[in-house]
Amino acid sequence: MSRHKNIVFVTVGSTRFDALVDKVISEEVILSLKSKGFEKMVIQTGHSNVPSGLGLKENEDMSQGNIFGLLIEVWPFRPSLKEMYEDAELVIGHAGSGTIIEVLRLGKRMIAVPNETLLHNHQAELAEALDAVGYLVSSSVRDLAVAIGQATSKKFERFPEYDASKFNGILDEEMGFNVAA
Amino acid sequence: MNTLITACFAILFLVILRVIFVIRHPPTPRFSPGQTCHLTVFLGSGGHTSEMLQMLRGLDVERYEPRTYVVSEGDQFSAVKAAELESSFPFSPKFEVFTIPRARKVLQPLKTVPMTAIVSLYACMWLVTFKPLLKRQSFGDLLLLNGPGTCVPLFIAIFINRALVGRFLVQWPALASKKADYAGWLI
Repeated sequence: MSRHKNIVFVTVGSTRFDALVDKVISEEVILSLKSKGFEKMVIQTGHSNVPSGLGLKENEDMSQGNIFGLLIEVWPFRPSLKEMYEDAELVIGHAGSGTIIEVLRLGKRMIAVPNETLLHNHQAELAEALDAVGYLVSSSVRDLAVAIGQATSKKFERFPEYDASKFNGILDEEMGFNVAA
Repeated sequence: MNTLITACFAILFLVILRVIFVIRHPPTPRFSPGQTCHLTVFLGSGGHTSEMLQMLRGLDVERYEPRTYVVSEGDQFSAVKAAELESSFPFSPKFEVFTIPRARKVLQPLKTVPMTAIVSLYACMWLVTFKPLLKRQSFGDLLLLNGPGTCVPLFIAIFINRALVGRFLVQWPALASKKADYAGWLI
């Protein structure tokens, strides 16, 4: 596999999010990505519908090609998402909490796009709260091209590392264990 | 039919006795360092399960044992993930997985829900109250819940049994209140 410096990775996990998949291959978004120096986009589409007629070359577990001058790889499911997060300069994802936390802990720039068709839109609540603290950029599908500009220039806050002792400490306190340090 | 009604009244009577007992003897946990604490964990599903197990990664497994995981019927993911976490602990795993029937299955017609909900609640009460009484072992000294809706029957069973939730933890400063502690990121 050829190495590209500037990769953007798009993921919807195992969900179906047609609107986001359609948007990232639109001319508007691709031009925005190219203007920020991105050379390749890898899209993990999960259960989403991928538009036909893109002129991509079908391989065994993915298809690839060139759309509006950007190299594109489309994978329904990638075996290891973590590897992709590590390779990418920017991750555009649905706003699932698992994805968000994993990406932020790797210190990557992220745009979280809540799937507005979900019940109560709880993903939006999470994404907006994290945006307000400065961990990521939250964007609607419609405003994605603008969000790419923000996410590539913004100075992000570093997301706190996982502290395994914290929760155990709360349990000890609650149960009245006389904690000897 | 008469037997069923009698049985229902008998159960109700036992429940009332239990409530009176619990109100008179509210639990005030005071463990000392050498003691062990039976931990019971409800694993909701997908993301709820992942977050709960993530919080438990730093668990003092010698202190919090044995461990009981409660999963919903058909939720293989949670059962497998719990076993994975257990096998990552440095000591030989001391745990069991208990399955409770769902209050409503996906696509189940609404009019049959009361019946399945009762079955679900009964299974929770069995786990929380009757089994511990019969077998003379605790259901758990400490119970952890983090949603979702399927934890409600379990919660009701505990409401009948105990003096409610000891402590609510939230992960957002804005959600903190007199009743809910904010302790930073736990996952």
